[in-house]
Amino acid sequence: MSRIRVLAGNRAVLVAMLVLAALAAYCLAWPALSPHDANGVDLDRSRQGPSWEHPLGTDQLGRDLLARLAAGGRTTFLIAGGALAVILAIGTLYGTLAGLAGGRVDDALMRLVDGLLAIPRLPIAIVILVVLSVHAQTIAAMAFALSIASWMLTARLVRGEVRALKQKQFVVAARASGASWTRIARRHVLPNTAGTILIAVFLELPAVILGEAFLSVLGLGPNPPTATWGNIAQGGLQFFRLWEMLLATIAITVFVLAANVVADGLHDALDPRRAE
Amino acid sequence: MSLAGFVLRRLLWTIPLVLLVMLATYALLRGAGGSPFTPPEGYIGVPETYERFLRDFYHLDEPWLVEFGHYVKNVFTFDFGPSLVQRNLTVDDVVEGAAPITLQLVLLAAAWSIPLGIATGLVAAANRNGVVDRLLTSTATVLLVVPVFFVAYVAGRYVAREWHLVELGWESWETRLAASLVLALAPIGYVARLVRAAVVEELVEDYVRTARAKGLTQSRILWLHVLRNSLTPFLSAAVPLLALLVTGAFFVEDAFGIPGASSFYVEAARTRDTPVLLGVTVVLAVFVIVANALADIALALLDPRVLERR
Repeated sequence: MSRIRVLAGNRAVLVAMLVLAALAAYCLAWPALSPHDANGVDLDRSRQGPSWEHPLGTDQLGRDLLARLAAGGRTTFLIAGGALAVILAIGTLYGTLAGLAGGRVDDALMRLVDGLLAIPRLPIAIVILVVLSVHAQTIAAMAFALSIASWMLTARLVRGEVRALKQKQFVVAARASGASWTRIARRHVLPNTAGTILIAVFLELPAVILGEAFLSVLGLGPNPPTATWGNIAQGGLQFFRLWEMLLATIAITVFVLAANVVADGLHDALDPRRAE
Repeated sequence: MSLAGFVLRRLLWTIPLVLLVMLATYALLRGAGGSPFTPPEGYIGVPETYERFLRDFYHLDEPWLVEFGHYVKNVFTFDFGPSLVQRNLTVDDVVEGAAPITLQLVLLAAAWSIPLGIATGLVAAANRNGVVDRLLTSTATVLLVVPVFFVAYVAGRYVAREWHLVELGWESWETRLAASLVLALAPIGYVARLVRAAVVEELVEDYVRTARAKGLTQSRILWLHVLRNSLTPFLSAAVPLLALLVTGAFFVEDAFGIPGASSFYVEAARTRDTPVLLGVTVVLAVFVIVANALADIALALLDPRVLERR
């Protein structure tokens, strides 16, 4: 309970969570409520500024940007969610394995993680994209490419937590009473890594969202007319329009900042030393 | 372990690491299946006679490990081979012509960001919780979080294309300075925040109090004693710093029309031009791995305890 209280007492975290919730609600709900279709082309209304009809204006093809930004957020969240699922699966499995195995196996596995962490994510993601998709970039390919470029940090965090847990008396006791390592991992270790995994989620979420934007701005994003935040920025770049670039940047930056604040707050709340 | 031994070991380790990256990239790209000569939509494949030549050159009809062996042999004699898609392009053109430009850009940006970031962090920490600190720290945060593609686009569009303050390309020194400064912005923010945090922690140490009691001036304590001890966390952060620089280079090169390696890389990704992708990946891996080794060595020079730990 005290952990939740620490978190709730942190005003910055509360505000950040509200911002994230508002952004998510807009992206998920607005496409259904909007009078304009996110992909509805209307060339007579190309490149308009904000108006009552189109509060955020229109893009090159006359598509309503308020609707498009929401639909884009949806796709971006979908990509980020898919990537996070894979990141958590690989990271948890790898980290638990290394942490429980210890010794040489742990050394070798962590050397590999250190080596991979040294290479910037963007080129890794680009190579994986090339490997995955023969012609078209799909949402699933994006998610998978981003997750292969980003699972390492989670693995390292989980491994650190597992190593600490392995020394705890309840694990030693379980071992002494004859429990197998798989049972210990499932029953005693994994449930206790939940906090670490939660931190990993909020650390990786902004990184994955930025990764989607980077790939899409380079022209390697989901094919048109799919809207993503990165694709909207790419439209601004392609058609020489600062406005669209700015809208996508604001959405991404607000999201990234809020997620960072939440990650920081979680860290404080879950680490007893920092909380005091 | 002696320092010389550590340096030698660290440098020798870069060779298997580079080989490993090459092997992994090669296996991934070749293991993906499909003929490398099936062009993506909207592209025309190479003529059959030329395909024959390429197949022979890369030994594509042999098992992929043999193929890889030939590839490694070629790379170590600095022959990266021809492009699979563009008839008049060899990977050597990219590696010898374009990659050095990217390298210059990244190194120039590092030359901006490290001193500027360290100075900003130190000044902020010296005035901690004051107005100057708040101003500098929030500026650093903004520099770090605003996505680089936006900063690069705005700078390239207004500074270069509309106001003509600098030319496009990589010819004039004005462009080089402007583009590398734009690339340096996010790293400046990153280094400044890191150094500020380290200095603030360092300032409460006993030796600082002793130095002050001895009558040393504040600036001497800060720039001589505290700075040296605060560089350790900064040097351990070489990896994220390099990532910021490499990622940013893609967008800054595009914004300023710089003929660096990144546009070749993206185009090769789009057309599945594996030799070009491989060549640039190898160069990138060598750069990143050597830079990390140098950062580790600098860390060992600054903090001899690093040697004990190994």
